[in-house]
Amino acid sequence: MRYNGKEIKKGIKLHEIETDKFKTNLIAIFLSMPISKETVTKNALISAVLRRGSKNMPTQEKISQELEEMYGASFDCGLDKMGDNHILKFYLESINDNFIPQKSENILKSGIEKILEIVFNPLVENDAFKKEYVEQEKENIKRIIEGKSDNKAGYALERCIEEMYKDKPYGLYKYGYIEDLKAITPKELYDYYKLMISQCKIDIFISGNVKNLKEILEKNENIKKLQERDAKYKINKLEEKEDIEEQEIIEEMDVVQGKITIGLDVHLKNEEQKYHVMLYNAILGGTANSKMFQEVREKASLAYTASSSYVKYKSNIFIKCGIEIKNYKKTMEIIRKQLEDMKNGIFTDEDIINAKNGIISGIKGIADEQDTEITYFFGQELTDSKTSLDEYIKKIQKVTKEEIIEIAKAVTINTIYFLKDNKTSKEDK
Amino acid sequence: MQIIENLKVQEKVYVEKLENGLTVMIIPKKGVQKKYAIIGTNYGSNDSKFIVPGEDKETEVPKGVAHFLEHKMFEQESGLNSLDTLTALGVEANAYTTNDHTAYLFECTENFYPALDELMDYIQHPYFTDENVEKEKGIIGQEIMMYDDYPEWKVYLNALEAMYYEHPIKLDITGTIETISHINKEILYKCYNTFYNPSNMVMVVCGDFEPEKLLEEIKKRLINKEANGEIKRIYPKEKEDIVKNKVEEKMDVSQPLFVIGIKDKIADTKERVRKHIAVEILLNMIIGKSSKLYKELYEEGLLYATPSLDYEFSKDYAHILITGQSPKPEIVYEKIKQQVNNMKNTTIDSQEFNRIKKRIYGEYIKEYNDVSNIARMFLADFFKEINSFDYLEEMLIINEQYVDQVLKSVFDDTKMVLSVIKKS
Repeated sequence: MRYNGKEIKKGIKLHEIETDKFKTNLIAIFLSMPISKETVTKNALISAVLRRGSKNMPTQEKISQELEEMYGASFDCGLDKMGDNHILKFYLESINDNFIPQKSENILKSGIEKILEIVFNPLVENDAFKKEYVEQEKENIKRIIEGKSDNKAGYALERCIEEMYKDKPYGLYKYGYIEDLKAITPKELYDYYKLMISQCKIDIFISGNVKNLKEILEKNENIKKLQERDAKYKINKLEEKEDIEEQEIIEEMDVVQGKITIGLDVHLKNEEQKYHVMLYNAILGGTANSKMFQEVREKASLAYTASSSYVKYKSNIFIKCGIEIKNYKKTMEIIRKQLEDMKNGIFTDEDIINAKNGIISGIKGIADEQDTEITYFFGQELTDSKTSLDEYIKKIQKVTKEEIIEIAKAVTINTIYFLKDNKTSKEDK
Repeated sequence: MQIIENLKVQEKVYVEKLENGLTVMIIPKKGVQKKYAIIGTNYGSNDSKFIVPGEDKETEVPKGVAHFLEHKMFEQESGLNSLDTLTALGVEANAYTTNDHTAYLFECTENFYPALDELMDYIQHPYFTDENVEKEKGIIGQEIMMYDDYPEWKVYLNALEAMYYEHPIKLDITGTIETISHINKEILYKCYNTFYNPSNMVMVVCGDFEPEKLLEEIKKRLINKEANGEIKRIYPKEKEDIVKNKVEEKMDVSQPLFVIGIKDKIADTKERVRKHIAVEILLNMIIGKSSKLYKELYEEGLLYATPSLDYEFSKDYAHILITGQSPKPEIVYEKIKQQVNNMKNTTIDSQEFNRIKKRIYGEYIKEYNDVSNIARMFLADFFKEINSFDYLEEMLIINEQYVDQVLKSVFDDTKMVLSVIKKS
């Protein structure tokens, strides 16, 4: 694998990942900008409208047919929150020319052209996005927002984050808000698109059988149109946490199983401590050996899912488990005990070695998956840092027990969110 | 070892059937860090009635034993849990149960051989006690309750119930809280001894290996066990027609979910792959992303995304599933039926046929990117008596006449069901 990052224009960067491990080439375009209440809904709508058609491929049907002709190239788009940034993501995956039964055109090159066309050359009518597309996609986004509660575990996490970050950028829902959808007109949306495209950070990743693609990109009409920019986005630096009082939020819904999500704040002093948190999280709830899995699931037999995950950009850990509703108090006692035990250093050197093994294995596997590798490099781009996989492993290896205990002492509960049914009586709550 | 090579995707599989009956398949992948090992037994949730080799009377066990056994296999006499031991090695270990097989696996970058030791050790040494069996009932109970909150799962099971009278495919893999309450260690041992015999199992490994060397390492880790005779599985006689054509349930969902099912007959081993491809091509022509009908339904707001299109089959059942969300599933259902009938009355559009073939070919190639995907595919196909490479070969020779024939025989109105979950 060889990674090569070069600026095409100020604020627009090409990242080439040359590798022969895969049957496919993967192209990803990420548009990054600070997330805000004013723009989050528009961004979600733009991502949906762009995939409906471009100037030269004006319908979804046409796009699909052209991709099918390229031996089933697949196009996909999505939205993400990374720290306080909103990211519009576009992907195009196609098989490597070596595996095509009849040699024909250069599939990678036409893939690059197609994805650039979809993202940067939209279908425009009367200086606005096509009206039907905007109206239909408004309905679709509305449904996605309304469907937020369909996945109960996902919903509990989303609600916990909302409560932790009330009136703050990270508390925003990545698909936006129904009340903001209605007023958006095709013209207004297109005007916003032009502004957004001229200011956002643009990263183009191409992984696979790639060489010297800079030239192809520089000659591309859609790239030529883009201006240089001082890209507006938030570099994800160490998050400062305030001291706040723990809050408990209990909500009711038609569920069979109760879902607990606990949002923890990790108060860090320096960047290096992020590696220590990874170890802390692995021991607390990151693996099948973790305290959560062992104590809540295996010993107390209270849950099937019991885990925790670390959101690095925001210095949060989220504990999640699905339990029988009447066991809420009992489960919370066990979880609190685990947090205390971590502070008191009640974990073994073996736990640390095991956690390190797990994390390091994960790091070594990064280069075996194209999208994971792209996400890894993109994360560095957004934190403005460079850590090779080898350095990353070394940093994990040298974390000590004392450093993990120090993290445990820097962890506070921000929010406990519990989703329960609407039948349980108050007594056994 | 027998070597099967596929030039299209440029991969090889090394196969060996050992004396004790275990089949080993190794797919070497040069230059890849990840290694993946999976061992499976041809025993799933469908197998609750059978005759133990050497006995002559039938054994019937509660629903959910295969899955329960999967959970309990990790327990060791030493008091340790193999999942913990594997996790401690930094490998990702897991297990799963399907209708026709149960599999145990790990993925790693380091410590492959210590992990292989553990995997092969726990698979060959069950340890069930009254106490550890009781404890698991709480955990699996929560797993069952978790699924109760998944409308996607409910709508799927309801579709199966509408299609099947007797076949156990229609039952939940986990069993129910009631059925698992009857499980005890004697039942677990009986099922283990019957189905976890090497002659009923297959092992697949994918990663950067020398196949012959790896085979020796696997052999070293096998305990002495003789191949047992044939396990006679008793499935109820299933009628060809469906139970009912519509089933509806209410749940807390923002939009209705639907599954359209088409009950089919399982094809001969020789024809299975070709039929599978034909069904995939047809489903794409009917309601795939580039189809006219999808465009129409999307623009009318009746579909928000392409439905997922699946052909599920094993050695003794087969059905098509079209799964999606729609404000009016009944209309989608009627439109799909209409489209099928229109297609039956016209000849297949060659251009469209070839384009979709190209797409599906590309999708098969993409399957070979990832060691876990490759190993799981070879394992699952093995239990269906299929060699995964056959998809790439059959793909190139499948023609319009055959696809047309499948359209007319499989996509039968009277075999179609609609399962819907509506907002409560």
